Amino acid sequence: MQESTSSFCNLGVLDALTDDSIQEILESYNGFCVTTQTLLGGAGDLSAGTEFVAHVHSLCKHGLESLVRDHFLRVLEEAFERNGASKFWRHFDAYSNFADLKRNDDVDINEDEIQQVLCNALEEISLEKQYQEKCLLILVHALQSYKDQMSGERHNFQAERDYLVSKYQLLVSSVLMATLPRHFPVILHWYFKTRLEELSTIMGEDFDDDASLNKDDMDLDEKGKVFNKVGEMDVDEYYSHSRFSENSRLVKNIGKVVLDLRSLGFTSMAEDAYASAIFLLLKAKVHNLAGDDFRSSVLQSIKSWIQAVPLQFLHALLVYLGNSVSYESTSSGLKSPLAPQSSVCCPGIDTPSEGLIRWKLRLEYFAYETLQDLRIAKLFEIIVDYPESSPAIKDLKLCLEYTGQHSKLVESFISALRYRLLTAGASTNDILHQYVSTIKALRTIDPAGVFLEAVGEPIRDYLRGRKDTIKCIVTMLTDGTSGSSSASGNPGDSLLEELNRDEEIRENDGVDDDFNTDDRQAWINASCWQPDPVEADSLKGSRNRRKVDILGMIVGIIGSKDQLVNEYRTMLAEKLLNKSDYDIDAEIRTVELLKIHFGESSLQKCEIMLNDLIDSKRTNSNIKATIKPPSQTSADTGDNAISMDLISATILSSNFWPPIQDEPLNLPGPVDQLLCDYAKRFSEIKTPRKLQWKKSLGTVKLELQFEDRAMQFTVAPVHASIIMQFQDQMSWTSKDLAAAIGVPVDVLNRRINFWISKGIIAESHGADSDHVYTLMENMVDPGKNGGSNGSPQELLGGDEEEERSVASVEDQLRKEMTVYEKFILGMLTNFGSMALDRIHNTLKMFCISDPAYDKSLQQLQSFLSGLVSEEKLEHRDGMYFLKK
Amino acid sequence: MITSGILYLSNWFSLANGINYKCLVIGSSLNLAIRWHAVASWTWDAHDETCGICRMAFDGCCPDCKLPGDDCPLIWGVCNHAFHLHCILKWVNSQTSQAHCPMCRREWQFKGSE
Ligand SMILES: [Zn+2]
Ligand SMILES: [Zn+2]
Ligand SMILES: [Zn+2]
Repeated sequence: MQESTSSFCNLGVLDALTDDSIQEILESYNGFCVTTQTLLGGAGDLSAGTEFVAHVHSLCKHGLESLVRDHFLRVLEEAFERNGASKFWRHFDAYSNFADLKRNDDVDINEDEIQQVLCNALEEISLEKQYQEKCLLILVHALQSYKDQMSGERHNFQAERDYLVSKYQLLVSSVLMATLPRHFPVILHWYFKTRLEELSTIMGEDFDDDASLNKDDMDLDEKGKVFNKVGEMDVDEYYSHSRFSENSRLVKNIGKVVLDLRSLGFTSMAEDAYASAIFLLLKAKVHNLAGDDFRSSVLQSIKSWIQAVPLQFLHALLVYLGNSVSYESTSSGLKSPLAPQSSVCCPGIDTPSEGLIRWKLRLEYFAYETLQDLRIAKLFEIIVDYPESSPAIKDLKLCLEYTGQHSKLVESFISALRYRLLTAGASTNDILHQYVSTIKALRTIDPAGVFLEAVGEPIRDYLRGRKDTIKCIVTMLTDGTSGSSSASGNPGDSLLEELNRDEEIRENDGVDDDFNTDDRQAWINASCWQPDPVEADSLKGSRNRRKVDILGMIVGIIGSKDQLVNEYRTMLAEKLLNKSDYDIDAEIRTVELLKIHFGESSLQKCEIMLNDLIDSKRTNSNIKATIKPPSQTSADTGDNAISMDLISATILSSNFWPPIQDEPLNLPGPVDQLLCDYAKRFSEIKTPRKLQWKKSLGTVKLELQFEDRAMQFTVAPVHASIIMQFQDQMSWTSKDLAAAIGVPVDVLNRRINFWISKGIIAESHGADSDHVYTLMENMVDPGKNGGSNGSPQELLGGDEEEERSVASVEDQLRKEMTVYEKFILGMLTNFGSMALDRIHNTLKMFCISDPAYDKSLQQLQSFLSGLVSEEKLEHRDGMYFLKK
Repeated sequence: MITSGILYLSNWFSLANGINYKCLVIGSSLNLAIRWHAVASWTWDAHDETCGICRMAFDGCCPDCKLPGDDCPLIWGVCNHAFHLHCILKWVNSQTSQAHCPMCRREWQFKGSE
């Protein structure tokens, strides 16, 4: 250091220079420049070395050491640009169009060729670099030997060397970086991708072998041990066993490329390239393993594959990179001192292992995230397929626990719902079933129901706008025969039955608390996720340890359990009124189940209705057993006498039934007579109670007998009355027939269609635009019209609106709400437009008597939507207007 | 079969109640068999609709009962006023001296059966 200070700082030295010494300096400098040029000229000629050293010594003597260094480095840089970098890049000129390719574009590329070109180029530039490093070392030696001569003792050779070598390395990197063409990273990516795919094919075979268990000659125990460890962290131990000799060539090959790239300063570019290739491969593997199969779990096989392929590769690579370092440092004096970067940045014995664990975590996280995204994108289909798809749900749950990206699920699923389910084309039933499946599926992931709340809200909102929602809910809950029943239960089970069974199972398992340990953990994890206040309001969220209550979430759609029970009562009434026997076991069961969930008192009316049927059965047999033989009645009606045996009746406590729609009807004489006798006997037995027949209600089983066959029907009394009129008279005008059975002509014309459609009555036009109905003696098309002995034809139930015998809840509500209609219309005239809430609150405020307004918001909404469909109101952007 | 006065009904009808119904309507042009299940409602044969004591409908039941009808019968006084049996019994039992009809204040006497 002393020399340099004097030479730089003491300009007096210049004055002291003699002409001789100037001459010497000039000669030495010239010689130095020439020899430097010779050495670095690219011819690979080291013969000028001795001369070069002499010139260096001479210049150093004159204190021009730094000039020597600087000049040499400058020439070296030019030489590297010329002989190294530009030659290197020229190799890749043919691929310059790669720069615009996307990473995973499939292009027709000669993979072998790229590989070859890259290896050649790297080899060439490495050779050049090695040569230049040799030249650099000659300089180092020259400088060193000069110092040694001067001081007569050995100096630390290392410092000088490190300084120059690192200068050189910097020079190499900056030259390359400055001239880096855009397509080079793409080429690297392609290279690693291709090689890794090759490797994965080889290793993948091993993996498959492993998976299909003990096939080769390996010791059974040994193999078992290895196999068991796949899932654990003992990766090193696992790989020490493994036989990658076949792949080691490939790994070495890749390792060599990585090393070469590192020595050119492309360390992070190389790592990026193989990392992205690995991730790409992993992504493809996840997609491949997961696919659209939701009925098996794939997480474990993905993890096993990560262990078997990429980690094995990385292990081998890290070992190779580590090994090559130690190998070179002991065997070669001229090795690149920059290679051991890995050991520089991660000192310690177990570095590869630590690095590998980091890789394992990275890869697994990536795999979890990829699988999670894949499943979230298909969540709608997965839920449609639930519970068969529960393995996919379990995978998703594990992924989310790892990534914590629950909000992603919420957002994505809500938009899928909006797009796929909550559309005019979807039936209310489908929406409800998807809703229930969603609850069932997501409560596995989210036992606390935190984000289920958020996901369910748009479905509930949407369903509230549909008129048939309540009816569909009640059907789904109580009717197991409605076909699309829940998949997890027995096919004939209602949802209520299923929920009840689940509860019993839970109780029998002795789970005193709603969480098993797994669920508890899941809940803890889920609660770590901080939901937005929008997704679950804090009040609901703070209800600790709540469980997802399916029934509660269903009732939540309607708003109140009373409305649900009320709707059920109407449906039950309809069902009971259409029974021709007294078999109500199923209904009793359903009411029992409803009582469990909704409380005994809210189902009291339903119980009375059921009790009416039980009583009716008893009363019915009592009446028929004690009635006097119909002595005089048979005289009245002559041949048309029928026996009391053929009559049965359901007797209602009408105060407890929903409003019943009875229409006037003249029953056939004999039947009417029998009903009179029946009623008379009833009041004898039950005095002072009496019966009032609801003649248009009930069920009639009919058998029509023709010469060659008989046809059976189950029909409403009005149909029976019509057809029985044809016993005495083949042909009727509609006016006469309507008068005979006591209904308006238009009602008759509608009802008689049933018989016309069966081919039993024909319609023709008579005088005065009156229809004439005639009994067909020969069936027109018996085959088409069916009615064989085996299957009685039914015409009952609610498939035709006019066939209903019970006023629907909607009709009942409309009746009760009509009082307020004028008031609402008046308000809207004054205010122009009003939101639902405001109408509701105003009614509450002003309608305090005659009758007081006591309806729920949902009921009001349903009434208003009725007014909208009657075109009295308009509904836009949440506001109601008068229809203009 | 048209010639014979009686038609034997097919199994479907016979099985319906486990009884063989031979009854049938024979007409000139159409033969048919029926089983008629009718619907009726019952009501108390009373002048009023509601019980003067509990103000509940007679066809319903008194506040203490769950089932109407036989389980919660009506009873008439000699004054011809009717009440739920349970209601008037409670009333009568609550009176220290002779009970009177809550409607007409006449001395309460149960109307004898016929
Ligand atoms: Zn009473
Ligand atoms: Zn009572
Ligand atoms: Zn009285």
